[in-house]
Amino acid sequence: MNKFYTILKYSFITLWTVFIVAPFLWAVSTSFKDFQSVNSKVTYIPWLDFEPTLEGWKVLIKSPARGGVDIVEPYFNSIFVTCTASLISIVLGTLAAYALSRFTFKAGFVRNNDITFFFISQRIMPPIVLSIPFFIFLSTIGLLDSLVGLVVVYIVLLMPIAVWIMVDFFNRVPKELDETALIDGCNPYQAFYKVVLPNSIPGLIVAGMFCIIFGWIDFFFAFILTFTEVQLLPVKVVALNSSITPWWSLSASALVSVAPLIIVAFVVERYLSKGNLSGALK
Amino acid sequence: MNLIGENISYKPDNEYHLNNISFNFKKGNLYTILGRTLSGKTTLLKTIAGLINPNSGSMHFEDKNFSEIPVWERNVAMVYQQFINYPHMNVYENIVFPLKQRKVSDEQIKKDVNEALNTVGLVGFENRKIQELSGGQQQRVALARSLAKKAKILLLDEPLVNLDYKLREQLREEFKRIFSEGFSQETILIYSTTDPQEVMELNGEVIVLDEGKILQNGPAKEIFENPLNLKVAEISNDPPMNILKGSKVSTKINLDNISIGLPSHLNNLADEAYNFGIRASEVKLDENGEEFEIELAEISGSETLLHLKKGNTKIIALIEEVMNFKIHEKIKINFNNNKFYAFDLNGNLVSSPYGAING
Amino acid sequence: MNFRHKFVFLFPGLFVLIGILIFPIIFTIRLSLSGWNSYTPEMNFIGITNYIRLFTDDPRFWESFFRLSFLSVSTVVLQYIIGFALALIVWREIKFKRFFRVIFLIPMMTTPVIMTVIWRTFFHESLGPLNDLLGRLGVEPILWLSDPVIAKFTVIIVEVWQWTPFMFLLLLAGLLSLPKEPFLAAAIDGASSFRKFVYVTFPLMAPISIGAIIIRLIEASKIMDTVFVLTSGGPGTATETSSFYIYIKGLREFQMGYAATLSFTYLVIMIISLTIIAKVLTKLMIKE
Repeated sequence: MNKFYTILKYSFITLWTVFIVAPFLWAVSTSFKDFQSVNSKVTYIPWLDFEPTLEGWKVLIKSPARGGVDIVEPYFNSIFVTCTASLISIVLGTLAAYALSRFTFKAGFVRNNDITFFFISQRIMPPIVLSIPFFIFLSTIGLLDSLVGLVVVYIVLLMPIAVWIMVDFFNRVPKELDETALIDGCNPYQAFYKVVLPNSIPGLIVAGMFCIIFGWIDFFFAFILTFTEVQLLPVKVVALNSSITPWWSLSASALVSVAPLIIVAFVVERYLSKGNLSGALK
Repeated sequence: MNLIGENISYKPDNEYHLNNISFNFKKGNLYTILGRTLSGKTTLLKTIAGLINPNSGSMHFEDKNFSEIPVWERNVAMVYQQFINYPHMNVYENIVFPLKQRKVSDEQIKKDVNEALNTVGLVGFENRKIQELSGGQQQRVALARSLAKKAKILLLDEPLVNLDYKLREQLREEFKRIFSEGFSQETILIYSTTDPQEVMELNGEVIVLDEGKILQNGPAKEIFENPLNLKVAEISNDPPMNILKGSKVSTKINLDNISIGLPSHLNNLADEAYNFGIRASEVKLDENGEEFEIELAEISGSETLLHLKKGNTKIIALIEEVMNFKIHEKIKINFNNNKFYAFDLNGNLVSSPYGAING
Repeated sequence: MNFRHKFVFLFPGLFVLIGILIFPIIFTIRLSLSGWNSYTPEMNFIGITNYIRLFTDDPRFWESFFRLSFLSVSTVVLQYIIGFALALIVWREIKFKRFFRVIFLIPMMTTPVIMTVIWRTFFHESLGPLNDLLGRLGVEPILWLSDPVIAKFTVIIVEVWQWTPFMFLLLLAGLLSLPKEPFLAAAIDGASSFRKFVYVTFPLMAPISIGAIIIRLIEASKIMDTVFVLTSGGPGTATETSSFYIYIKGLREFQMGYAATLSFTYLVIMIISLTIIAKVLTKLMIKE
């Protein structure tokens, strides 16, 4: 019976692994194809089924003028917007989370939990609801199609995440620690900065990680709020999709775009095993 | 300079945590606050530290109105029952932290830290990380940090309660030593606990707290000998004092189903109903005594606690040996008559074996 | 005096958030009361005409809403079951534990839209590998993207691929943080793996499970990227979710006023339903 169970276990995770890896394998294979290999019949393994070419990949390096696809600039734009918005969200969000965890707020019938809920509920907003007003808002202040405009919008997306994670985390740091810092002569700001913050690194890392992930993967806001001046990575790739871009360049661009965060997967796994993540995510 | 509190009340969510508390703490003295859990001990300490703002009342220290001074400017130190140290610093940095905050000079820091480490017996531990230390060592670091500050008011909130029994005894001895000799005559020491035995051992000025009110205060001996009412008797004795309803009838005390000869110190009592109190330690095995049935026998260290029953009377006896008793076994006990207390029906002390007589 | 600092901590974040949000929200409400469309691109005032239209004359919106509920609930349920199973398996010692843990995390680290672009080629009915392989096994080509019913499942498959890792991560982190004692007790009591799971693991994981499910439900209710790239809401309206419908009305047909009405109504419904679901789930799990 135990044997059966073991076989079941391993088959399950093997199947799932195949499922996970399938699209990647397909994309890698396709990126080396050309017109023949794609459109006559379905081909899989290079050299066996078809003649591989580097057309798909060369396109990434060629300049747009000669039919290439420029993804370097969108790459950097994405990095800039994601990191800046994440940073601001984490800073403001952590401060707010600390306040919500430690102090009591009472304004009419509004209490701490309501304020926290307000922050977190921003995630419920589907992008479409905000995109039209943001479109008009940003064009009014001249920030349409700009990096700064996107950063501003992304803060709304990411701050709730920072607040959600950090409030939970701070709630698990004993209040007595803050109190001791106060008694030892720190004012509340120093207590936060010198004592609470150094002990919150795991939480900050988790918050940072999620902010970066959710910022990086946004498509819709970038789609609506940018055109030619500024292009973010996801938009660029999808734009390729709707034009007559051949599958091979499409696959190559897609693979290059998703590669970076895979490194993050390794980082996350390390942290998970070390047990720090578990505490922060509860 | 004294720490004077006047009519302090703290009433969050309409429940009194501190109810009209007043005190006058003199420097160089040790004050022990005795009370059960949730009696307001921690609240009182935190109020003195400034972490809690009372709803009414005032506090003065060194002629300054304390309520206007925020926590970080008051000259207090506090040791918590959960060993609180800064986890991201080692032992040395922990102790140095408050001194650095106050911008003490580097040489003075070295002196103070070494002195503190010496006092708590942790010399050589400077570079250890907090997580590597045992519970007792962590608490000593917390104490060292408080000592190094040379604060004028040192607060300790049940500092030994999270340590195991042996460690507790050991540290209690050390506390006594530290408090009596190594201590500056400028400091007010305030120590809270639920353990009456600790209070007696520390032998300071006791304040009995219950439900946010001060029930009694005085030297430890006084609390022991003359508890002012039944509540105080309950709180300040472990195991709790046996309270037996009965009445005095000329030369006898009639408890529920027992009759005892009148102890001499109760001669002047009126012939009425009273609540009589006798400590568990004053109940002895006596072959010629009253027969009680054993409901429970607990062996604690080198003593045995017997929960006894006779009719409606239930008492606890503390026997100073380890003996094996069986439940429902019958034994004979007698009381040490001279140690009877008499409380009136309202619970107030009327007569005590140690001489106080309240009309 | 003692408490000014609490506002200093809270307010920057709060104000920035409210500041950025306030315009869109008020604007949306105001817009919903106007008849802004491509013929009359101006902010007139038509009262609650749009709302009346929404509640009496727009079955398509409500269909899209039920479709959304179906899609998001089924995808979250699948993610929970699979994610939990995966987490349980890699929780304890197995061969290549680290390898599997990393692999299982990877889909979450990819940009959904971009992966969907790849999926589109994958599910391609004549040139895609899936139908080709199935064909070699003798199975008729499946209309992944052009059959109204199957298209829904295609969307679910892609969503499950993309987001199960998120559930997996939360649940694994939760499992790793569980105290050891209950399991030791169960082992001493001779509990079988199955009983251990039902009586120890699952109940202990209850609060974390609820949190994870709610978070995923919130995110799943916004399904947009997948639908946009994979099926454009089609075929027909088979995979048209509420978000997509609002998008069509607002940014394709330019009926901005009406789209704003849809947006606002949708928002209110979502906040109420999610709050109710959160409360119900919490009570359910506590009773267990």
